[in-house]
Amino acid sequence: MDTFRRMTKPVSYAVAAGMLALSLHLPVANAAMVGTEAVVHAAQAQQQRSRIHEALNREEVKAKLASLGVDPAQVQARVDALTDDETQRLAKQMDEMPAGGDIVGALVLIFVILLITDLMGLTEVFSFTKKGSARR
Amino acid sequence: MRGDRNARPEPGVFFLVLLLATLAGCATPQTDRLIESAAAFPQPVELTAVPFFPQEAYQCGPAALATVLNGSGLNVAPETLAPQVYLPERQGSLQFELLAAARRHGRVPYVLRPQLEAITTEVASGHPVLVLQNLSLAISPQWHYAVVVGFDLTHAEMMLRSGHERRHITPLRTFEHTWRRGDYWAIVVLPPDELPQTAEELPYLQSVLALEKLKRWQDTAIAYSKALTRWPKSLGAHMGLGNSRYALGDLRAAEAAFRAATRAHPNAAVAFNNLAQVLADQKRWREAEQMARKAVEIGGDNADVFRQTLARIEARTKN
Repeated sequence: MDTFRRMTKPVSYAVAAGMLALSLHLPVANAAMVGTEAVVHAAQAQQQRSRIHEALNREEVKAKLASLGVDPAQVQARVDALTDDETQRLAKQMDEMPAGGDIVGALVLIFVILLITDLMGLTEVFSFTKKGSARR
Repeated sequence: MRGDRNARPEPGVFFLVLLLATLAGCATPQTDRLIESAAAFPQPVELTAVPFFPQEAYQCGPAALATVLNGSGLNVAPETLAPQVYLPERQGSLQFELLAAARRHGRVPYVLRPQLEAITTEVASGHPVLVLQNLSLAISPQWHYAVVVGFDLTHAEMMLRSGHERRHITPLRTFEHTWRRGDYWAIVVLPPDELPQTAEELPYLQSVLALEKLKRWQDTAIAYSKALTRWPKSLGAHMGLGNSRYALGDLRAAEAAFRAATRAHPNAAVAFNNLAQVLADQKRWREAEQMARKAVEIGGDNADVFRQTLARIEARTKN
């Protein structure tokens, strides 16, 4: 056992020295750059968020929600709390709505489902997570 | 069907199903709309200079890709492309492989909106469009890649480089059917200094991002600066340009791009953070510290990165 340790010691020193040399070789603080992907991703989430808000702010949608006894402000709060990924999925649902069909009805359905499943804690999409939480 | 021993549908039911299936596939809303708007393109358009590569066996993928690549000014033979995009066991090519191969040749493939108008608009501005068609019915698909090189709305026709035909003419309605069965998939393949006519900001940036992954920084720098000519305020394009130049080691040029980003978006912390880093790399510590502090003040997503940047720069300025 002892001989083994004596034999491996130089190896571990070499590895440690190698790693140190590698880290010294990196530019001063390369890790500090924010990549383009993060920027584009955020812009996309932002765009989808405003699309969802637009849909929610349509008078017909608000009226129909109210007629179902749902407070649009409640839905609004829920939408605000969506993470970027959840926003993306919700916007995708909106994209896949039947064109030319009952758009208002479909939108209302999406928002109502958002609230109901949320109350029941059913799905991951609708879990209570604050915007920009550490889930990513 | 005849060879299937278990299936013995009533002939009447069979024909009813067939009839319904045919009827359901008859409407061509996009063609109707396009022909109504025919005034926008009163003259036929045809890109006669786009080369033609007759396909071999099932190799329509390599042939179609070679057509658009050569149309964009490259000199590539389908035989060179075949190993990159052709799957012998499937006797065909997958869409993402065509996209990947185009990127490897320094081109920016852009997926068009699923509308006929998008195709005609691109062709009218000189860009041949690679499309996926299903020439048969959905139950026994016959996938086919071809390239749209022209159209004539007065006669409701499309012109394609397709299979063994240099100038395949197909009625617009037929094309809409076969294209719909191909899920309306269509791309243009352009050099980085040329924007698709129908490009939208974020989808276009996404397609440039895919080139970033291949570290084709020279190409991405060109594409981002081209994108800025159409969307001068685009934060993604400003940042992409800065990051590409940074990756190329051109600190001065990167600095200019990030500065432009901070001017267009005075509240974009990422722009100040990356500017700080580029200044730090030039050992301009005081300026760097100022910018890093600004990023931390604004905060938001990536706030931990901003604090890290500041901390590292402060470690230098305090000594």
